[in-house]
Amino acid sequence: MNSFIKANPIRCIGCRTCLISCVVAHEGKRIFEIDPDAYNFNPRLFMVKTARVSAPVHCRHCENPACKASCTSGAIYVRDNVVLVDTKKCIGCKNCVIACPFGAVEIVETAEVQHDGSPRKIANKCDLCAGVADSPSCVKVCPTQALALVTEDDLSESVADKRRSAAVAALV
Amino acid sequence: MAKKVSVKEIQTTCCYCGTGCQLLFTVDQDANKILDVHPVWGRTNEGTACLKGWYGWDYLNDPQILTKRLKEPMIRKNGKGSPLEVVSWDEAIKFVADNFKKIKEKWGPDSFLGAASARGPGNEAGYITQKFTRAVMGTNNIDHCARICHAASVAGSRQTIGEGAMSLSIPEIENAEVIFNIGYNAAASHPIVARRIVKAKEKGAFIICADPRITETARISDLHLQLKGGSNVALVNSLANVIISEDLIDHEFVKLHTKGFDEFWEIVKEYTPEYAATITGLSPEDIRFTARKYASSKHSVILWGMGITQFSQGVETVKCCCSLAMLTGNFGRPSCGTGPVRGQNNVQGTCDMGDLPDVYPGYQNVTDPEIQAKFEKAWGVKLSNKAGIQLTRVPEFVIHEKDPAKRIHAYYITGEDPAQSDPDLEEIRETLDQVDFVVVQDIFWNKTAEHADAVLPATAWGEHDGCYTSSDRGFQRVRKVLEPQGNVLPDWEITCRIATAMGYPMHYNNTEEIWNEMIDLCPKFTGATYEKMERQGSVQWPCWDKGHEDTGTMFLHKDGHFATPDGIGILKTSPYHPPTEVENTEFPLSLCTVREVGHYSVRTMTGNCRMLRNLEDEPGWVEMSLEDCDKLGLREGEIVKVFSKRGSVYTRCKPTERVKQGAVYMTYQWWIGACNELTISSLDPASRTPEYKYCAARVEKIKDQAWAKEEVARIYEDLRSRMHIVKEEVLA
Repeated sequence: MNSFIKANPIRCIGCRTCLISCVVAHEGKRIFEIDPDAYNFNPRLFMVKTARVSAPVHCRHCENPACKASCTSGAIYVRDNVVLVDTKKCIGCKNCVIACPFGAVEIVETAEVQHDGSPRKIANKCDLCAGVADSPSCVKVCPTQALALVTEDDLSESVADKRRSAAVAALV
Repeated sequence: MAKKVSVKEIQTTCCYCGTGCQLLFTVDQDANKILDVHPVWGRTNEGTACLKGWYGWDYLNDPQILTKRLKEPMIRKNGKGSPLEVVSWDEAIKFVADNFKKIKEKWGPDSFLGAASARGPGNEAGYITQKFTRAVMGTNNIDHCARICHAASVAGSRQTIGEGAMSLSIPEIENAEVIFNIGYNAAASHPIVARRIVKAKEKGAFIICADPRITETARISDLHLQLKGGSNVALVNSLANVIISEDLIDHEFVKLHTKGFDEFWEIVKEYTPEYAATITGLSPEDIRFTARKYASSKHSVILWGMGITQFSQGVETVKCCCSLAMLTGNFGRPSCGTGPVRGQNNVQGTCDMGDLPDVYPGYQNVTDPEIQAKFEKAWGVKLSNKAGIQLTRVPEFVIHEKDPAKRIHAYYITGEDPAQSDPDLEEIRETLDQVDFVVVQDIFWNKTAEHADAVLPATAWGEHDGCYTSSDRGFQRVRKVLEPQGNVLPDWEITCRIATAMGYPMHYNNTEEIWNEMIDLCPKFTGATYEKMERQGSVQWPCWDKGHEDTGTMFLHKDGHFATPDGIGILKTSPYHPPTEVENTEFPLSLCTVREVGHYSVRTMTGNCRMLRNLEDEPGWVEMSLEDCDKLGLREGEIVKVFSKRGSVYTRCKPTERVKQGAVYMTYQWWIGACNELTISSLDPASRTPEYKYCAARVEKIKDQAWAKEEVARIYEDLRSRMHIVKEEVLA
């Protein structure tokens, strides 16, 4: 089963430390040394604030990803329980943006310049920090522990607990 | 191998809010370069940090995004209007000392006012600033930015419970049973305190939030009292009314530990929930429910912030909050009491160090002859027994004072930027230009430096040693992480050099020497030695004894013994008055200033941190209701112009469901969208804190958005060039 990050809106205080940590993880520490306009500040999670809710929205890493099914260039793939975008293959067709039921994918400008001088644009989404950090950076920095990585083991444990409670309740 | 030796880990206290989080720096000392920063365990933060803690150290690299680091002393050799010229330290010190001396001789000691810094410099520098003002200049005209934030908390708490600080500690918040937040949005001002509120909620606490906006704190509350802005006194008086009339008071506590009940009841008896409902817009049921809930526990905590202090009735609201806690016996045990949570990293410390016009370090009154004699003996000079004036009254004592003999003629500003942070900036600029001699001592070029006769470059947090006081009275060490770049000196050393040049030698070899002089003069702090701070990590005052047994004080007013002269608390409040300037036909909206979580103070520091700047940048936002946006045809992100009687600024429109129709909110950190061009300079008569939280305003749509964007970009470039940033340098 694919892992995903779950936000707890009761704990989230909307501070967006998670958004910055995402950029730092993916751009590397060089961004503390270069012109802040020399790269694109593109967090892979999105803070949503309504009257009653604040919570970041991440990719759910679906088991049957609609983004992957809709991808025209074969750029979206699953590896080690994570849904990923091959940025080299991505042509920025936006099918994934339309297909994703959570609004967790967006098209962003990269620092890469194309032949005609325009910036190259690609799909951007949560990759659970695969290849850039040992664990998801947003989970690590959150000051209120509002984010949690949910793995197959976590989910089955939680389901087992609930079943146990349900069975005990049935006795009463 | 040799390279590894130079890598060192150094723990220090965060330079942003009053929470006092502990951060660990990994530094390559040979390269004088920061390799990594992350939070580590501390008493208040337990290994966590917010975005400013994680990413707010970057200004130490001087990236020159908003403003440039000051690296050389500068003076206007040929007087006002002449250019600032780089000079040696000796020449700068002589210039400043001669001018201070001249002004003191001509106009007397009270023509000087010193502003201490509640930010990077630390407690030792704060002690030196007030010592310089009192011992060298001979006046008690010393103040700092608590005046524009929590001065009302200090005044209101001292008048009722005798001590102007948080009665409880930050960790205690999570074990409270009822938390009443009034005018306090921890999520934006202290995320690591908000963490405790979140934890308390998970442990079963009932959270109440009184705020005109749906803040993050309101959102996670069990009950949100969305009161009309400026009606705090009516609300707290009505809570007291219910507590008394429904007999929810702690009779034994009130009888043994308080006085003034009859006079208190005389005022609050009028504030029935029905009457208060007409002022606050709340339902009488919600008011009754809040009062009952608050009174139902002996672990009820009141937390407040700028939402009650930055009103012309700030002190009155604070007094009533303290009275609510006394009425219900909510003092003197763990997880109860009052929490004025301090905004800046060392605003508690700067109060502790006596950078206030009425008290010496350790809250010892300047009017008490015994105290005066003690300081006269220690400092070897005659001192003034006349309380000084507050920094918010500088305009009154400059442009509004007809008699030159009564005016302020010299203004020594360390680590503050009144030309950005004070209300009614037009008036402040006029004031600064009319003061004969202005000295700015800071780490960055700022708006005030443009008006200075001398600019003295200081070391920043991370470049010097010292200690800060966290909001909950905890003394904690800050340590030098990097070698400073440029011809800069620690704040305390600059001030000592000026004093010495004026004929009053002040010499210290390090901050510990300054600290040791201070603690021996302040009984409440005597036990808080550097050694104890090292051992414990944090020492909360009062800490009376240097011995190991006295580890400090977690909560104040144990067993109901208040810090008043007779140990008895005084129940106090006042009748409600509306704000000074209310909405009218020309300015139909109420404007309230609020905080951006990722930015700090006047933004010289966070505006120069790459990550924080990329998260939020100029020209800021004005939060408006969906209804008001519809009426004006405004969409998110559109540039608008906001007007008040005093000025106008550009900013971006942010439509939100979280604010009520008729009210708008602007964060005060922006330089283009500088809301203090609009705010009113009316002051609380007791604390002299300005009414930032309420004035009348108007928002106008700009049809030509392309032009507006260019205009904002032009203003930004102009600001940056005024702050001495050359574009090529940034791009290089």
